[in-house]
Amino acid sequence: MASQYDRAITVFSPDGHLFQVEYAQEAVKKGSTVVGIRGTDIVVLGVEKKSVAKLQDERIVRKICALDDHVCMAFAGLTADARVVISRARVECQSHKLTVEDPVTVEYITRFIATLKQKYTQSNGRRPFGISALIVGFDDDGIPRLYQTDPSGTYHAWKANAIGRSAKTVQEFLEKNYTEDAIANDSEAIKLAIRALLEVVQSGGKNIELAIIRRKQPLKMFSAKEIELQVNETGKKKEEAEKKKSKKTA
Amino acid sequence: MAATFFGEVVRAPCRAGTEDEEEEEEEGRRETPEDGEVRQQLARKREVRLLRRQTKTTLEVSLLEKYPCSKFIIAIGNNAVAFLSSFIMNSGVWEEVGCAKLWNEWCRTVDTTHLSPTEAFCVFYHLKSNPSVFGSCPRKNMQVTILTCRHVTDYKTSESTSSLHTPFLKALKTQNFREPPCCSLLEQPNIVHDLPAAVLSYCQVWKISAILYLCYTDVMKLDLITVEAFKPVLSSRSLKSLVKNIPQSTEILKKLMTTNEIQSNIYT
Repeated sequence: MASQYDRAITVFSPDGHLFQVEYAQEAVKKGSTVVGIRGTDIVVLGVEKKSVAKLQDERIVRKICALDDHVCMAFAGLTADARVVISRARVECQSHKLTVEDPVTVEYITRFIATLKQKYTQSNGRRPFGISALIVGFDDDGIPRLYQTDPSGTYHAWKANAIGRSAKTVQEFLEKNYTEDAIANDSEAIKLAIRALLEVVQSGGKNIELAIIRRKQPLKMFSAKEIELQVNETGKKKEEAEKKKSKKTA
Repeated sequence: MAATFFGEVVRAPCRAGTEDEEEEEEEGRRETPEDGEVRQQLARKREVRLLRRQTKTTLEVSLLEKYPCSKFIIAIGNNAVAFLSSFIMNSGVWEEVGCAKLWNEWCRTVDTTHLSPTEAFCVFYHLKSNPSVFGSCPRKNMQVTILTCRHVTDYKTSESTSSLHTPFLKALKTQNFREPPCCSLLEQPNIVHDLPAAVLSYCQVWKISAILYLCYTDVMKLDLITVEAFKPVLSSRSLKSLVKNIPQSTEILKKLMTTNEIQSNIYT
């Protein structure tokens, strides 16, 4: 069945599938893992950095991008598609500021990106964007937000979510470990993001990139040293917790 | 060809060719000596060769028959091979017995006479302390275990693939395999393809006890989570005795991952 209805984006299959959109979601799984956590006073984005070729300049490879001073996004999937979406979103942020004299809300810009993605699932001669995005930020009301968009053009608000390779594993980890205690303060939320990423990142802290936004503060990207510190602290806590467990069982 | 008003199809006369066309076609189909030579050369190149990698000498099949075999484990694909290398082959000392090299027109190698050791397609090992673990020839009391991976989009199910918990393991066994498998059996209408299917079919025909463990994953390249999905296999009767040190195996696996690959620039 799939082979007859999966070549054109504008054709539904008899059982209601848009196969090109579903295949685009497979392209997202080829990107490295991204995790987003919404804390009480902080939003955290953690990504698995992909390894680059020896002669390649690492700085150009960026998964976390600021859309405005108070909103940023991380994506998983086709790099070139992400560049186009980010560029359009940034223009929209400034256009909104000029027209309405207010910065965009996180929900507005998410809806803009989702609408853009949806248009590409309903035009002939085009294909869907092969990216999912996690968009985080603070609105003027001071409430932290985390949204996720996918290639079909849907968007939802989340407390914590993951996209990209092995996202399911990270989502299961978050479902078990996202508690009120875990996001009690900023550093706990950061540690939760790191622990979630370490479930699937195969080479430890040196392949992790972390960014946070605090209320009324711009995006902060963690340096490699800061990430190393956080990872070591997380590792120590894990060891302590395991020691306690083994004492209890003994 | 042309159709008449009565519906019959007649061969329309063609001014471009003559009735001698059929004879000319037959001549063309007859092979020239050059064609024959090319065909023989290709056949020689495509022969499967068994040899010892260190000495590059041919391994005669009769030498392999010297080794009695009770367990034959074959891993196909990089995740299955990584699992075998980290969890099974790190216990005890495994000696390389030989390798099988082959070439066909789809191989990218140009030089077929001197395939380098890094291009071995199948390497045979046997456990020094227990030489009955190895073999390439079918024996009555042999048990065959096949490990391989497949992309989850090949898995046919009424559920949506996004609701499946990948990676997951499925098993398919021959009639002679009596043990309970370590995971659920592969449901219809899913089928197994290529080499694993060939090995399993061979075992079924020759009444050899064999089981195939197929890991459905959404990451086909070397991936820690996919390799760890094979872990339930370690509890099977045939492999339990071969597994010694699981924490050490996990460390070896992590090292295998880090020596790995530069990722493509298309996906981030």
